[in-house]
Amino acid sequence: MAALHISEQSLTATALPSKTDENQLGKKIVVRLPVLFCGLLLAVVANSHAEELPANLDWLEVVAFARHQTDYSGVFVYQYDNRVETTSIVHVNQPDGEYEKLESLDGPQREIISHDGRIWGFVNHKMVQLGSNYGHGNFPSLLPEQLAALKANYKAKLLGVARVAGYNTQVILFKPIDNLRYAHEIWVHTDSGLLLKAAVLGDNNKVEEQYAFTQLQIGGKIDRSWIKECDKAAAKLKDAPPANADIKPINSGWVADMLPSGFKKTLEIERLMHGRHAPVTQMVFSDGLSSISIFIEPNDRDEDDEDGLSSRGAVNLYHKVMDKELITVVGEVPPRTVIQVLDSVRYNGK
Amino acid sequence: MKQKISVLMDGELFEDEAETLLDQIKRGSDVDNDWDMYHLIGDVLRQPEHIHCGMSNKIRERMEDEPVVFAPRVRAVKQRMRTFALSAAASLSAVGVVAWMSLQISPEVAPQLAMQQTAFRPASMQIKPDANDYLAAHQEFSPSADLNGGASYIRTVSYSNGAAQ
Repeated sequence: MAALHISEQSLTATALPSKTDENQLGKKIVVRLPVLFCGLLLAVVANSHAEELPANLDWLEVVAFARHQTDYSGVFVYQYDNRVETTSIVHVNQPDGEYEKLESLDGPQREIISHDGRIWGFVNHKMVQLGSNYGHGNFPSLLPEQLAALKANYKAKLLGVARVAGYNTQVILFKPIDNLRYAHEIWVHTDSGLLLKAAVLGDNNKVEEQYAFTQLQIGGKIDRSWIKECDKAAAKLKDAPPANADIKPINSGWVADMLPSGFKKTLEIERLMHGRHAPVTQMVFSDGLSSISIFIEPNDRDEDDEDGLSSRGAVNLYHKVMDKELITVVGEVPPRTVIQVLDSVRYNGK
Repeated sequence: MKQKISVLMDGELFEDEAETLLDQIKRGSDVDNDWDMYHLIGDVLRQPEHIHCGMSNKIRERMEDEPVVFAPRVRAVKQRMRTFALSAAASLSAVGVVAWMSLQISPEVAPQLAMQQTAFRPASMQIKPDANDYLAAHQEFSPSADLNGGASYIRTVSYSNGAAQ
């Protein structure tokens, strides 16, 4: 008896009636008249559920704009891989551009300030430049082509209103057209357009990572004393090379044939990377919401780096040695996608 | 009777008694329902995440859709089968509508089960600290940072930290 029961259970996955299978439904209507009534009923119910709104992409422009133009301070939690991190953030606009300060509230103390495309951090009580924000300048960087790509690769759906950190938000779901990318759900403050919560959803709607403000002050009196310190440190480094001196655009001749549809190349550069002797080629592809980077470098690393897949939250990384090159694919896309992309990387000559 | 079914499910009924009971189950629909209900209760207790409700009906319904080959020589049987199929399909579709409508009440259930078959997630481990450079470099040029909001901030914090050490 028990055995029979188990086998029944394993059948369920295939035996469930598919609610969208209207072709099948159509056949039934032709063959079996009594079903007609039920079919009609189904169709009516199905229609009442199809309240998909076509274009909710205006929201995104608001989000991209608000992210830069609003002064705010608050605390948000970031959850990934069964971990939770709490971070405070201050974002202000000054005459000479945007300033943003992030401070980790748990674990080792970390503080990051970004301004003018540069990222600063305190290491041993000294402010040093950690990196740059090449892609995102001081202005809303949501380009029309990015919006168009997003529209082609995701279905936007308004899911109603919800409260986050005491504010009313509009919930929007971006459902991907295939299973090679994650779904994204965002909670946008209805008044300011600030992104108050965001979740990346994988298979079975599993939350791969999410972040949410727990406390937020929009506008009003915001502490700006730290800006002076940042400017002082920046002034000392006036002679330092510009942030992107070690980066140059190239045409490497490398291609990836199996990128999911809709991923367009946004960048191809040669750059120096920490601990590497030779420059590394980096290609970046975007589908409007997610992006994939491909790194190609000569395999001259001493340690035996085994091939493999690793992940942190929604970001997956896969690397593999192909002939003489070490190839690494990173992106906020499912594991199957980084593997598929890497396996299709080849040199196409110059 | 209910007692007996419960004992049978636990596998503690004697063979001859079990046979009689199974005969009854085959005949009487009441007993059949009890049998289903007890298994459903068992399922819920064992694994509350996935509850298969009205499964045998669904299986029966799917089997209806399978092509049936009727041998041309037995007309009477064919006729009887068709009558049976028509009425069975009607009642099963009604059940299907109810089941489908109940699925609509909790919309997550259907896609979850449907996707279980295609879900493919190779074993993966945590990204090692020495790969932080790649993550930072990826983050730096990721064109969709504006739409990922806080996630991209926090990534910047943790990756940069790794690079500084």
